Amino acid sequence: MDLNATLAARSYGAARPLTSPAPEGAAQTQLGRFAETFTQTLAQAETRAQDVMAGRGDPHVLVAALTEAQLAVESTRAVRDKVVEAYLEILRMPV
Amino acid sequence: MSLLSQTLAVSASGMQAQAQRIRHVSENIANSDTPGYRRKLVPFAPAAITGDGFGQRSGVAAGRMYLDQRALAQIYDPGHILADATGHYQGSNVDLMIEIADAREAQRSYDANLRLFDQARQMSQSLIGLLRK
Repeated sequence: MDLNATLAARSYGAARPLTSPAPEGAAQTQLGRFAETFTQTLAQAETRAQDVMAGRGDPHVLVAALTEAQLAVESTRAVRDKVVEAYLEILRMPV
Repeated sequence: MSLLSQTLAVSASGMQAQAQRIRHVSENIANSDTPGYRRKLVPFAPAAITGDGFGQRSGVAAGRMYLDQRALAQIYDPGHILADATGHYQGSNVDLMIEIADAREAQRSYDANLRLFDQARQMSQSLIGLLRK
């Protein structure tokens, strides 16, 4: 099989759309939605904590919100570790 | 909202209701010697919890407080400022024995809710912990 410049350019052009960023915004993707709920959970815990410190909220609700935030952070960290690990695995792959 | 985080919210509502109950018990005990005081009681009712995935009656909440309508104690003390012609005045209808038993029951229910809360937390934590292995 002979490789010439035209063929290389054509395959390069065909592969380009695969690596370009998705046209829709980050908020529409699955990961974007996940990040949004994650931020919401953290923000809610923060609001509850402020309320309780100001003497307005109920401590039970605070504990529930903080526990949920903790679990959210832990799960996010676990997923991130997995992703980074997979990326490093690819980097170490002998070419 | 996952099932386990729903469990957390439901247990928290149970703890909140028991806290409300023990607050009224403390009022009753504080007023056990107040003339004319009627003991306060709180009914529990299923309540909706804010958040997605909850049914209409998944949590619990303490309802409107009501007064115990049992007769007030007649206490004989002719020297008392509220004493009537026969030398009696009306005390409160608080029975300390009942109040202490009620307080203990509230504590046990609170503990049960707390245990369940902790268990749900541990379950989620160990589930996420699997990813780290």
